[in-house]
Amino acid sequence: MRAREYNSPQRMTSFNRLLAWSIALLLSTPSALALNTWDVSSADLARQIVALTGPGTITLVVMNRSSLASDDVPIIRRALERELRNAGVMVRAKDADSDVRVTLSQNLQGWLWVAEVQEGSETRVAMLPVPGATASGAASSEPPITLRADLLYAQDDPILDVAVLGTGTEQHMIVLDPAHIKAYIAAGGNWQLVQGYDIPHSQPFPRDLRGRIVPSTDHLFDAYLPGIACNATKTGDSWTMTVACSDSDDPWPIGSQKAFYNSTRNFFTGVVVPGFGPKLPPFYSTAELVRISGTAFLFADVNGAVHLLEGGSHKVLTGAHDWGSDIAVVRSECGSGMQVVASAAGAPVADSLRAYEISGHEAVTASAPLNFDGAITAIWTGSDKTSATVVVRKPQESRYEAYSVSLACSH
Amino acid sequence: MKLTVSRWLVVISLFASALPAASRTRPRYGGTLHVEIRTDPLKSPDGIARKLIFDTLTQVSDSGQVIPALAVSWEAQSANHRWQFRLRSGVHFHDGSPLTSEAVVQSLSASCKHCAWHVRAVGDSVIVTSDTPLPELPAELARSVYAIARQDDNGNPNGTGPFRFVANSNGILFLSANDDFWQGRPFVDAIEIYGNRPVRDQWLDFSVGKADLVEIPPELLRQAQQDRIPLAMAARPSDLLAVSVSAEQIGDEHLRESIALALDRAALFNVIFQKQGEVTASLLPNALTGYSFLFPAAANVSRSRELRGAQSVPLHLSVDSSSAMLQLVAERLALNLRDAGWNVRVLSQTSDPNAELALHLVHVEAADAASALQETLEDFGAAVRDEGSNPAVLYQGERSFLQSHTVIPLLYLPRAYGVSGRVQNLVLAPDGTPFLANVSLEDAK
Repeated sequence: MRAREYNSPQRMTSFNRLLAWSIALLLSTPSALALNTWDVSSADLARQIVALTGPGTITLVVMNRSSLASDDVPIIRRALERELRNAGVMVRAKDADSDVRVTLSQNLQGWLWVAEVQEGSETRVAMLPVPGATASGAASSEPPITLRADLLYAQDDPILDVAVLGTGTEQHMIVLDPAHIKAYIAAGGNWQLVQGYDIPHSQPFPRDLRGRIVPSTDHLFDAYLPGIACNATKTGDSWTMTVACSDSDDPWPIGSQKAFYNSTRNFFTGVVVPGFGPKLPPFYSTAELVRISGTAFLFADVNGAVHLLEGGSHKVLTGAHDWGSDIAVVRSECGSGMQVVASAAGAPVADSLRAYEISGHEAVTASAPLNFDGAITAIWTGSDKTSATVVVRKPQESRYEAYSVSLACSH
Repeated sequence: MKLTVSRWLVVISLFASALPAASRTRPRYGGTLHVEIRTDPLKSPDGIARKLIFDTLTQVSDSGQVIPALAVSWEAQSANHRWQFRLRSGVHFHDGSPLTSEAVVQSLSASCKHCAWHVRAVGDSVIVTSDTPLPELPAELARSVYAIARQDDNGNPNGTGPFRFVANSNGILFLSANDDFWQGRPFVDAIEIYGNRPVRDQWLDFSVGKADLVEIPPELLRQAQQDRIPLAMAARPSDLLAVSVSAEQIGDEHLRESIALALDRAALFNVIFQKQGEVTASLLPNALTGYSFLFPAAANVSRSRELRGAQSVPLHLSVDSSSAMLQLVAERLALNLRDAGWNVRVLSQTSDPNAELALHLVHVEAADAASALQETLEDFGAAVRDEGSNPAVLYQGERSFLQSHTVIPLLYLPRAYGVSGRVQNLVLAPDGTPFLANVSLEDAK
């Protein structure tokens, strides 16, 4: 085994130190301008390597065993070389004091950079956990009617509904999740939490929990969860809300109707007030369309069929065989002025949303699918009626995202 | 055997091609799920039914984060020598009795007779104290061995989990949905688990629509994929195939190293397991640690011969006789050892005291590296110390253990299931256990 060798320590003169600082400053200026995300981690790992090798010469191999983009590897290598050089370790192609192999690996928590320092037959190891997450693709859309998704809010806990109330400086975003009602104001391009309210509930909520925020004309809004109704009012002139929740089986507003929700399941019971005469079958979601012939009421039942009630007649909507359980109506300046957006039936890993025109009792495709890299867990007509609030669960990141989806006409 | 299995795969794939492709995005309530497995669903500590009937104080998410379960919060005190877990209120056991700190203490004390910690109840909290620091205790308590379990008046399992025990008769475990489950009632009304069912019988039932969920052993996984059988596979391999070497019977460390160097992992991986899982010389899969490549896994027969020297004592390799796959692996390993000059006999017994070597298939349930290392070391009877989750520290701990060559990791194998077309939203836990509370059935009425 070769004995461990260090370069003999050299004392710097004042001139040399000044020269070194000047050179370092010159060298570091462009680097600082092009400061990349790996610089800090590279510096940390270089420090660990130097602690093992001491000043001297090394050979350096950098390998990528992670999902890191291959473009990043030379950037990391350059950053490592720079940091090592600054610490008195020179990288050579061969015949060095130590051989260093850096492996860019990853584990559950993120990246893990591993340096193996070999000197003779002895190998020592340094490790550096580097926090990181993979980037996700954004939703995309295609003509003829274009669906546009704007991210409203994201959090780790499930999101049941999001509503943006008011305008201008008075604009507030309300987020309903299983445990809270939270109010945010727009500040510096971000939403800033101003108030939170814990939702009390004595009974466990059903799995596949759903909830709805309904803006009100005489107070701020109502929020509905299975077996619970909440009422939010404004306190005084400032935008301070008072929320009161109580156990309730009150029906949830769905357009001009109100529907009773099964508080132990994930669907509406089929009892609607004022109603259409006979009781409807249990359903997941509805859309109310104002047409020349009158108001048409669409509902997606729990067996996968979409029904159309109009003028006392009841028909199964054709062209909706590939619809999922969630539908909502959105006003636009395109086509009939009112389209239905529906999630797609299929595996719940990656969902899509599509707009349809309802012509007679047929659904006609009006847009290309808008793809989400997660499962759509909720679609509600937005508070402005010209958008739909769509909640997506991203299983890879254990994260929920709420989007405002609006329709634009293609020309 | 292989021909028979292949035939069933063809039958299943024909059946699978006729399954409905589409599903509704919102899950439906109702129906009975039929599950078939090779083991006893209740008896083994990580048995599939235990996770349905019982809860743990904590859970570990897919990303390795410890999240609340029966405990809503926890706090370390005295430099991790004392932990306080505050219990979720309003939770009841299936027999209606409330979840209390006393009940938790009773359960943890029963499941942890040899643990280095002491547990007691204080109000709505459970206090765990230890002479040594326990930085990873919250993650450790997510393992099903620490599930909060009781027995009802009839001696049946009684938990707080998503399903209640109904009966266990004629090899079938009957469970029903717990309407009061704190995370919400499961979608299916009932689950029937057929335990101790041979794979061939499972696949027969699957092919005729009598089973919704059946096991796909790793050695048949590739063929199942090629035949387009609908599969659910865990995100990471969780079953460690390893050989233990008795240090009492082979006291010379060089001889144990000779045995380790003779074993050809690549051949097992390529031939028997058709490139499923991962070759490993480390105790934990790379997905958990990120460092398993630091342990060299290649065989070195000439070095093995060199280390063996003139040693000619015969070796005995014991293996579970009920597993054809393990027997095949054992025969292959015996061949490797013979190539290196060892005289080896395979003994088809689970644990033969005369055997110097034993082949193990160890399930690693823990979803974080630190707890998984503790769990694996426990499985091999090694002394365990909770030293935190720093990868460098874990690596050193693992390395110092493996340097003794008393355990030789070979492969990490994945867990997979054949899933019928009516099963929706099946998610596997990181260790491959099906999470059935979220499953719904497409044809539920």
